[in-house]
Amino acid sequence: MQTPDPFPRTNLLLSLGCIVFALVAVFLWIPMDSGSGLILKVRRQVNIGDALAPTIAATVIGLGGVMVFFQRRAPNAGGISLRNLGSVAYLLAICGVSFALMRWTGPVVAWIAGGITGEALDYRLLRDTAPWKYLGFVLGGWVLVSALIGWIEGRITARGLIVGALASLALALLYGVPFDHLLLPPNGDV
Amino acid sequence: MTAFDYIMAGILAVFQGPVAFSFLGLPISVTVVMVLAGFVLGIMVGATPGLAGPMAMAISLPILISIFGFSSDALLPVLGFLIGVMKGATVGGAVPAILFNTPGTPDAYMTTLDGYPMAQAGQARKALKVAHFSSAAGDTFSDIVLIVCAPFLALLVERYLDLPEKTALLILSLAFIAAIIGGSVGKGIIAMGLGLLVAFIGTGEDFYPRLSFGTQTLAQGFSVTAVILGVLILGEVFKAFEDMWHNHRRAQPAKETPQQGDQRLHAADLKRIAPHVARSAVIGTVIGALPGIGSTLAATLGYSVGARTHARRHPDRKPFGQGAPEGIAATEAANSSVSGANLIPVLSLGIPGNAAAVFLILAAESIGGFNPGPAVFRFSTDTVNPELVMAFGIFTAMMLGNLFNWTLGGLFMRAAGVMVRVPKHMLLPVVLLMTLTAIYVQDPRMQAIWFTIGFGVLGYGMRRLGISPLPFVIAFILGGKLEETARQAFAATGADPWFLFNRPVAAILILAAIGFVAVSLRKPSETQQ
Repeated sequence: MQTPDPFPRTNLLLSLGCIVFALVAVFLWIPMDSGSGLILKVRRQVNIGDALAPTIAATVIGLGGVMVFFQRRAPNAGGISLRNLGSVAYLLAICGVSFALMRWTGPVVAWIAGGITGEALDYRLLRDTAPWKYLGFVLGGWVLVSALIGWIEGRITARGLIVGALASLALALLYGVPFDHLLLPPNGDV
Repeated sequence: MTAFDYIMAGILAVFQGPVAFSFLGLPISVTVVMVLAGFVLGIMVGATPGLAGPMAMAISLPILISIFGFSSDALLPVLGFLIGVMKGATVGGAVPAILFNTPGTPDAYMTTLDGYPMAQAGQARKALKVAHFSSAAGDTFSDIVLIVCAPFLALLVERYLDLPEKTALLILSLAFIAAIIGGSVGKGIIAMGLGLLVAFIGTGEDFYPRLSFGTQTLAQGFSVTAVILGVLILGEVFKAFEDMWHNHRRAQPAKETPQQGDQRLHAADLKRIAPHVARSAVIGTVIGALPGIGSTLAATLGYSVGARTHARRHPDRKPFGQGAPEGIAATEAANSSVSGANLIPVLSLGIPGNAAAVFLILAAESIGGFNPGPAVFRFSTDTVNPELVMAFGIFTAMMLGNLFNWTLGGLFMRAAGVMVRVPKHMLLPVVLLMTLTAIYVQDPRMQAIWFTIGFGVLGYGMRRLGISPLPFVIAFILGGKLEETARQAFAATGADPWFLFNRPVAAILILAAIGFVAVSLRKPSETQQ
């Protein structure tokens, strides 16, 4: 018995999406968001305007959509389920938390340390000195790697935590120690 | 300078460049060391299921640029390293295919069909030697074809193709790639259009950066690194995460069979596999020279043609699929001979045909001083063309890579067997962190990381929808060049709107582009990427 296709309407939806996108791009987005039209006349000389190339690109997308429409019943077209979207959302959430830790660990630790010692510590002035410049990257990288391993394994394990810590430390040393001029995340932003 | 002087200058640039160290009083240049380092890394990466040459190239590039900087001296060591990775990964892919029935790279799948049965019969080392010999032979043949053909093709293009024809050639290349890669021409065309559109964001000749919604974020356009690494590397990593999440509990640890008997590769063995190596090397080289057609197709074609010939001529011998060394030879020679030939369109036309070529172009663009394309092969006699010296330096680095492959490749292949035991679900999160760090050190803004992740999600979605990301990436790279050439052609022909159709060569190229798409539309069905 043949297994039913889990995504029977993927090609139809993809083709319609591309055609609608192409129409919106050609008739709304590109004309309204380009400095010159399809053709540009300057002192009787005709040149190609800035809108022509994107218009052709959008038309190509639309044409691709039309072709997919005629092939919409092809088997094994692939598809995106709610489960796929959930996975991507989970992945993005892990990335978001890790990057937030990268961004804010250094400044927060500097603020706490300043509070304890009574000195006015500003992370912007410390971000080029060890160990400050590694704090955010190591913690954020550790959480990123460990959380992803934990997600795949279904639980947080000691091995995953060790791999995460070693990987982020090794990368911090790889870029931070030999190359003074390189900035690890987030030191270019703070 | 004569052609011979250029060749010698290229060779000397490799061997007499900056010295890394002295060995027995002999100075060893940095480029030589980098080719070897890249080759060893490539074998290890190729032998690790879930990793691939382009991933290693992507992660290495910012580190290499940090070490060597943006001077013209950096080009040969950096490109030499990347070429080494490319060559090593091709050889390394056969290791887990033979030892553990797990192809290290997709093009090594057919190697499992005969390699693993040989390993189960206690002949793993012999199978590895067959794979190594065939791979090195195919790769060397392909490089020789590249060295001979690329300059002539470039000279032909420069001599006979004017701006309208060059525009038509770029359109033909894009149409060919979109039509050939993946199972659905429509989806290939969508990917190509999307890549072009992304390339046009924030660019243009007007003061206002087009398609930027008036924001500063989009006004500078997207960095090449963020787009390429996002779509090609992160898209693949995201998909692999999800697949591993679903399949983790079903994973079985790899087992190795004890080895026995004669493991040497005798002259009689070489005589048996030689016709298969030769045939597959030609098949792989022809396929590799066409942009967009990957080594997997070459391996499949080499194997199937070899299987038919073998069954017809030698019905008494062990058939393909049951542990025939000829099967390994046919596959490995075919997939390895793609790598050199794939650089023919890159060096002669500036058109990348696969992911590895994309990273070579990215390296050349990042460092500067070398723009792959027909202009490279201008044999100017009165002045020195430094790009031509560089091209011959690259050819020398490739032949050096082959020398390492012939002499040390087998040794490293046997050592690389341990790589299959590295758990993929622990390796890929580290690859993700490495890729994001690589992006940040090149463009130190968190925004750059988010852009890369955004393109990673796009690459993931494309893979789930059965859309190959390669037409997108190649169109993104060529988009600016296509528009610039078209603008110049339009101006040069006196604003003739039919400049692509009223010159015979340009018209033929455009008709060929339409023909490829039309013929590809007749494909009966598609297969998911």
